[in-house]
Amino acid sequence: MMEKLVSKMSPKWRDTTVALVFLSPFLAVYAVFLVYPIFYSMYLSFRTVSVDTDMFNIFSDMRFTGLKNYIELAKDYHFWWSLTVTFYYAILYIPLLIFSSLVLAVLLNNHLKGHSFFRSAYFMPNVLDMFVVGTIWMFLYAPQGGVISQIMNALGIDFFSREGILGSPRTAMLGVVVALVLKNSGFGMILFLAAIQNISRSVYEAADIDGASNWQKFTKITIPLVRPIILFMVVTGMIGALNSFTEIYAMTSGKPNVVVFGKTMEATRVAGYYLFRQWDRMNYGYAAAMSYALLFITLAVSYVNAKILKSSH
Amino acid sequence: MTLMTRTPELAKKTFLYVALAVGAVFVLFPFFWMILVALKPDEQVFALNFILQKPLLKNFVDIWTNPSYPFGRFFVNSLVVATSGGFFTALFCSLGGYVFAKKDFYFKEQIFWILLATMMIPGMMFLVPQFAIVTKLGWINTYSGMVVPHLANVFGIFLMRQYMETIPTSIIESAKIDGAGEWQIFWRLIVPLSMTIITMVFLLSFLFHWSNFLWHLVVNTPESDKLTLPIGLALFKGQYTSDWAKMMAASCFSIIPIALIFVVAQKFFIEGLTSGAVKE
Repeated sequence: MMEKLVSKMSPKWRDTTVALVFLSPFLAVYAVFLVYPIFYSMYLSFRTVSVDTDMFNIFSDMRFTGLKNYIELAKDYHFWWSLTVTFYYAILYIPLLIFSSLVLAVLLNNHLKGHSFFRSAYFMPNVLDMFVVGTIWMFLYAPQGGVISQIMNALGIDFFSREGILGSPRTAMLGVVVALVLKNSGFGMILFLAAIQNISRSVYEAADIDGASNWQKFTKITIPLVRPIILFMVVTGMIGALNSFTEIYAMTSGKPNVVVFGKTMEATRVAGYYLFRQWDRMNYGYAAAMSYALLFITLAVSYVNAKILKSSH
Repeated sequence: MTLMTRTPELAKKTFLYVALAVGAVFVLFPFFWMILVALKPDEQVFALNFILQKPLLKNFVDIWTNPSYPFGRFFVNSLVVATSGGFFTALFCSLGGYVFAKKDFYFKEQIFWILLATMMIPGMMFLVPQFAIVTKLGWINTYSGMVVPHLANVFGIFLMRQYMETIPTSIIESAKIDGAGEWQIFWRLIVPLSMTIITMVFLLSFLFHWSNFLWHLVVNTPESDKLTLPIGLALFKGQYTSDWAKMMAASCFSIIPIALIFVVAQKFFIEGLTSGAVKE
């Protein structure tokens, strides 16, 4: 019966029927867990959990409060601070990541024996669990008994064992970022390596004939040709900063405290972590409003980046 | 070759090897230290020695069977979550990728474009609404709650479509002439021919679900019997802040299996993870 019906259709309608059937499991999950949440989140952002809420039915029992969440968000200096911290994270992370990825790629590009071993070794930490890697780093950084502070002590530098890298507001974010850079550099390295190998040998040979030094070849030929990759890493780095959570949860929990303009803030509490804290306190409406704010920031960042990418081509 | 031309060449090589080795030490040291400390007795945890008198498996055994933090159980949970997540993602994406690659249906490009557009939305955006949906479905503390919301992997469909477009349509046509139905074509022809990309999507999703920390944290309460390795470690860390030997042993259960899979299948991981970037 079904077969007959299908065989009578025009080819395009037949393909559409088949496509719908084949796509249905994917589209079902997509609709319920990716499309619906975008609208549902908007709905929740206009509501607030009331004090006397029905604990077994919190989401249906939220009260309509209009734009209250958004107005509060605009006035919440902790929110603005978390955006500042996110920006600081990106400013530290992106240049360091690009630099170390590029250095590894240039080193590997010499095709020495064992080059594929080093390539795998550098890439491997990329696939490992962020939370677990963060926990290991917390141990390495520990002010009492951590390897790094012990080695530094032996060298006569006691800064690391006094407050610890993650315990001082001045170095906590840097500590997180260094751990991340060492985990993620292998990824950028692969991208740079592919781009460098695409540069034709004759370009370098021509430069040799003109008597260019290695440094000149690097800055005048290599860097301009890997520019698209640098831009890509800036874009993904910024979006990564806006999405960052696990590394902060693992290593600092947003701490340590720092006083800014007379207000006590947390030095590594990035936007993602602040959003999580709001969820944790059952401020669901507020958290939904905040995720909308973050969405617009992310889209703005992507838009600006797309413009820059276009103009550079 | 004279000594004159040889020496700078040798010096350059030596320098490069030293630099590569220093890089590898920096990148791999945390994992080396993790394994070393996990094998040490408690009183040696903070000692700066790099050599073990006699390696102990005690920490591993203790933590695997710990009554309040059973890492053996957490390991099984992680395995179930990651394997089912990988399997269903690969299944859904291969079904979807196939029709995008080989069928000519209404609104095909528009639908594909909308799917790709959702990739722009940051994951944080979904935290609250997905949590609300999972709560309403009664999926808190279940495998379904951890796995199902993350099965619609758009990047997976993208990879599948790209790969399956290279399968010649003539093979499909001749199978049709031989009387094969849509299902048969998919299962007997497309799936065997696409095993490379299916394996890649499976491995990438396995990895994603193995490390999907924030989501596992959100859909499990601390009493849950479905806790995965990183969540178990987070709870353990909250309770025993300085029992580093046990924590490093627990970390090994998460790190070592993935490192081994990586060593065996690194081509899939490196190509798969970087393929989104190289396109453009």
